[in-house]
Amino acid sequence: MKCAFCDHELTPAMLREEGCGACLGGCRKIHCPHCGQENPVTPEFLVKLLGKKREK
Amino acid sequence: MSASHKDSPGEKKIILVGCPNVGKSVVFNSLTGAYTTVSNYPGTSVEVSRGHCQIAGEHYQVLDTPGMYALLPITEEERVGRRILFEEDPHVVVHVVDARNLERMLPMTIQLVEAGLPVLLLVNIIDEAERVGMRIDTALLAEKLGIPVVAAAIGRKRGLGELRQAIAAYRPQRATFAYATDLERDIQRIAGQIHGRYRLERRSLALLLLQRDEELQERVRAVEGTQAAAIEIVVNEVIFERRVDLHLRVSLERKRICKGLLDQVVTQREGIRPAVAERLSALTMNPWTGVPLLLLVLYFGLYQFVGGFGAGTVVDLLEGTLFEEHLNPWVIAWFERHVPWYWLRELVVGEYGLFTLGVRYAVAIILPIVGTFFLAFAMIEDSGYFPRLAMLVDRVFKYLGLNGRAVIPIVLGFGCDTMATVVTRTLETVRERVIATLLLALVIPCSAQMGVILGLLSGVPGALTVWVVTLTGIFLLVGLLTAKILPGERPMFYMEIPPLRLPQPRNVLVKTLTRMQWYFLEIFPLFMIASVLLWAGKLSGALAWLVDAMRPVMGLLGLPDDTAAAFIFGFFRRDFGAAGLYDLQTNGLLSPVQLTVAAVTLTLFVPCVAQFLIMKKERGWKVSLLIFVVVTTLAFAVGWLLNRLLLATGVLG
Repeated sequence: MKCAFCDHELTPAMLREEGCGACLGGCRKIHCPHCGQENPVTPEFLVKLLGKKREK
Repeated sequence: MSASHKDSPGEKKIILVGCPNVGKSVVFNSLTGAYTTVSNYPGTSVEVSRGHCQIAGEHYQVLDTPGMYALLPITEEERVGRRILFEEDPHVVVHVVDARNLERMLPMTIQLVEAGLPVLLLVNIIDEAERVGMRIDTALLAEKLGIPVVAAAIGRKRGLGELRQAIAAYRPQRATFAYATDLERDIQRIAGQIHGRYRLERRSLALLLLQRDEELQERVRAVEGTQAAAIEIVVNEVIFERRVDLHLRVSLERKRICKGLLDQVVTQREGIRPAVAERLSALTMNPWTGVPLLLLVLYFGLYQFVGGFGAGTVVDLLEGTLFEEHLNPWVIAWFERHVPWYWLRELVVGEYGLFTLGVRYAVAIILPIVGTFFLAFAMIEDSGYFPRLAMLVDRVFKYLGLNGRAVIPIVLGFGCDTMATVVTRTLETVRERVIATLLLALVIPCSAQMGVILGLLSGVPGALTVWVVTLTGIFLLVGLLTAKILPGERPMFYMEIPPLRLPQPRNVLVKTLTRMQWYFLEIFPLFMIASVLLWAGKLSGALAWLVDAMRPVMGLLGLPDDTAAAFIFGFFRRDFGAAGLYDLQTNGLLSPVQLTVAAVTLTLFVPCVAQFLIMKKERGWKVSLLIFVVVTTLAFAVGWLLNRLLLATGVLG
């Protein structure tokens, strides 16, 4: 996955990092360490759905 | 496969480094074959691949490092990458770069050479570069850099033999790259104070200390002992004397060096014009063509699509038809028939009911507008337009004497003000951070708020123009005032510009759905809580008291008393308040002037709860409360002035 603003690669390790804590219900975004852009993390159901479609 | 790793004695090491997506893993696989191990680097969760190969009868161990963009680490991967470089004692460090982006990637080659590492430059994906008419004179580049340079397309097995030969014949060389005189003086001053033994050159160490490399600061403290304090004093003196972002200064110097190195090395074959994307990219960043292009993007991408389609067609369908004609009458009738308690009926289907207000606002008004906005936003984002917008805005900022560095948090604020407030910590001085935080809280609407405001105002001719002109005016005024308060040099702004590309439908869809889900989960509980509070306020009489208390303010703004409720909604979230205005407008309770005044005041109004909390976290209670007071006062003052102005001039009348 790439940052939508600066195009730097976002790694799985960053996915595990905690967010800024501002959003209710937890963070669903990866904060790019290079520019700060919030990149939405694809929800599980969408990953599964798109994955299944691709498999078909 | 995961396994712990033990070094074989006498085995030399080849370390592969480079940015992500330059074909490092392909090089690794081509050199090592199938037998490789992947394990976490000791003490970290970062995976490192190791393999073995034999070149000219000599055994080598090959390490594939995580992607890194510079020697100054930002991410965990980059920190691990640097540790590998300095702890694994490499025979050769192969820096893999993409031939098409040589200018962007060469600064890291310079850093590796400066550090005293045995570097070999592998210019990969050369076939693609040649296809677009690029010619790279690798012999000349090798001469200029003082290191071996190999051109290759390893994915197509081209250049692999040359790479193996270059590794076998590698003899360490040393080159020095000259920075500007003043910077050179600073580097020498610091390097002269360093006496301990390090795995990287003193010159490189001095540069990294100037860029506030915390890990190396610790290392210097450990190695130098009592002498470390003297080094820190010199470093701090230089940073204070320069009063510029030295990280940026060093990056720009390296860019200048790279330009010189690539002079006559990279040539473009005649007859092949730059690609359409490149020409369009240049147009988007030129103020003369960039501003009209930006207006086109705003008009078609946001005004027509979000305002016309989202707020018009989709909301009419959901709110006007589905809720007003079908769901609401049915649910209200059911409650009236089966629920004898007034308070419960009010709670669910009353004026501020959970269903009639909370669910309706969230599902039928906000979500379709914000959904279409997110769709347009994702398309623009995926095209790579935003970094270009940052460059364009920076150029416009410079004409006004505004600070170029503040561009990134300001542009990011259009996505989410809360996160942009966190990003202001990257600004150099406390003053800059406070000003950027103020601008974000005052005039930069977040994506959700902008979507709802666009939808709200697009139905009234001229209203959106007044809104844009007013906000731009206030932004410029506050910017100019702060530029006066903050005299001095204008800091430079520099960022890498990724390629412009056609948005990928899958990316756009995923981003839109993801943002819609995240947004809905975030606002829905808030809307429910707000409905309950408003319901409690109505039954206890507190709401009527509050509306009464706000009556004089509403009167000053020329707004009907009912608008007070929308402003109270706005305390929870500005987009919730905007939905309240939408309701008032569709019920014919607001004239075009009143709607515009209310929308401008609400946009300038206090930030959402999340943004306020982050402001408090980043800037402290005192500053955030001061910003809150300034923003609220300015919002109502501007609303009052705008109302008088619109009434006096007859605009929108």
